[in-house]
Amino acid sequence: MSNIIQVLILGLALGGVFSLMGAGLSLVFGVMRIVNLAHPSLIIAGAYIAYWPFKLWGVDPLVMLPVATVIMAAIGVLLYKLVFEREAKSAKYSEMTVLLTFAVAMIVEGALGGMFTNTQRVTSPSYATEAIFIGDIFIPTGQLYAGIISIAIISALALFLKYSRFGNAIRATTQNRDAAQLLGVNVNLVGVVSFAIGIGLAGAAGVLVSFVFAFFPAKHWEWIAILMSLVVLGGMGSILGTVLAAFMLSVVAAFVGAYIGATWSTMTFFLALFIILLVRPQGLFGEKPELA
Amino acid sequence: MTDLLTVKNIIAGYGNGPAILDGATMTVEPGKVHCIIGPNGAGKSTLLKAICGMLAIREGEVIYKGETINGLRPDQIMRKGIAFVPQERALFPKMTVRENLRMGGFILEDKTELERRVDEVMERFPILKERRAQLAGTMSGGQQQTLAMARTLIVKPEIVMLDEPSLGLAPKIVKEMFDIMNVMAQEGITVLLVEQNAQMGLKQADWGVVLDLGRTLFEGPAKEVLADPRIQELYLGSNKAA
Repeated sequence: MSNIIQVLILGLALGGVFSLMGAGLSLVFGVMRIVNLAHPSLIIAGAYIAYWPFKLWGVDPLVMLPVATVIMAAIGVLLYKLVFEREAKSAKYSEMTVLLTFAVAMIVEGALGGMFTNTQRVTSPSYATEAIFIGDIFIPTGQLYAGIISIAIISALALFLKYSRFGNAIRATTQNRDAAQLLGVNVNLVGVVSFAIGIGLAGAAGVLVSFVFAFFPAKHWEWIAILMSLVVLGGMGSILGTVLAAFMLSVVAAFVGAYIGATWSTMTFFLALFIILLVRPQGLFGEKPELA
Repeated sequence: MTDLLTVKNIIAGYGNGPAILDGATMTVEPGKVHCIIGPNGAGKSTLLKAICGMLAIREGEVIYKGETINGLRPDQIMRKGIAFVPQERALFPKMTVRENLRMGGFILEDKTELERRVDEVMERFPILKERRAQLAGTMSGGQQQTLAMARTLIVKPEIVMLDEPSLGLAPKIVKEMFDIMNVMAQEGITVLLVEQNAQMGLKQADWGVVLDLGRTLFEGPAKEVLADPRIQELYLGSNKAA
């Protein structure tokens, strides 16, 4: 029994981190209809923002969390203005963003690889190697902190979206862009800010990832499939759905890893993506796609 | 009386496609109900979209209170006082009725004033008060239309443009929609109505505009438009004219 609880706890902690990794991707798709394949590569960029100060000066990665969030949000604004804004009125915008973000992912990977090589890195503050013991059950503090901070950030985002004036404009734009415009919402501004928040979240996720997983520039290819499975299961554009999907799949993956084999753990996400697209392509909270 | 809005020979279409509006012209006087009629494909809805900025105008001018508003974004035009309720009602399906009403007052900076106006509108439309916590997407078609129209009252615009508010609604509900429109008119709001049921629309209106193939064929007092034999023959069906 304690073994099951142990696996459940590890799955939930991992789910917290994946929630944050997927939340930005979901927000950007929900508001902008941008399928951001570059999201995980930007998470890795965020991880490097935490890594180097830790490596060079021993700066705690958590101290770098707001810094990485702001830097990546600023990069988000730049990226949006340079790459996406001019195509925003294209009838095939979503399809084009797949190609554009694929290119961005390649560029980010190439740039990070060129600067930092493809050596595996990890930040190792003391808490990343410690654990809390409750009887027979241990909770790795690194994963615990990352999970708690992720949920705190997502909760703050949810409160912002629900109760602030601009947050309501973002929600409205997600649900009906034309209607939002007709009520006085500057949807272009909402788009830029949402994209910046999304990439800022990638930066924050990167900092947490830096002490939970080993990372290197090409790692994003593995993560994009994982994140897409979360976003698709949750329902494209639904942040709540993405968070629930992250917890569900992470727990399943933890059990698969514990009882079937660690190599099959990641396969859980890929298999889930395949099954969801076949059985319920709209996911848990998404709109049913039109067939016509 | 000075025109509130003037549409001068506008040419507009979707993307790079052919022009749907090909020289449409109309004048809008303050405080009156204007009904735009015409056969399918005449460009009625397109005209409203062009006025509110949802569709780029290729040529011509839309002048509102003496200012050319071509090229402004829909949110900028809305802030100037022109509200638009499109056919598809433009609600936020996953927001509650109250949240939808609050979004109706998005441009109001004063939160207390916004809440006061939301309460005021809910008092006026009891069905909205009753269903204030319900998600808009789960309401009936008539209730959604009531919400979409009532929502425009939050900011008290100068002009409300309604694109076929009766579309797909039962006759009893259609009457309720026209009652709401009449409330708007009584409050001094200028109404531009596109209505497929031309007779019903013109009977509610002060001014009629007849469009065909993107051009204005005729405009004048609604009673005259309704009585004009050519118009009856062409757009209303002569045997239907009562």
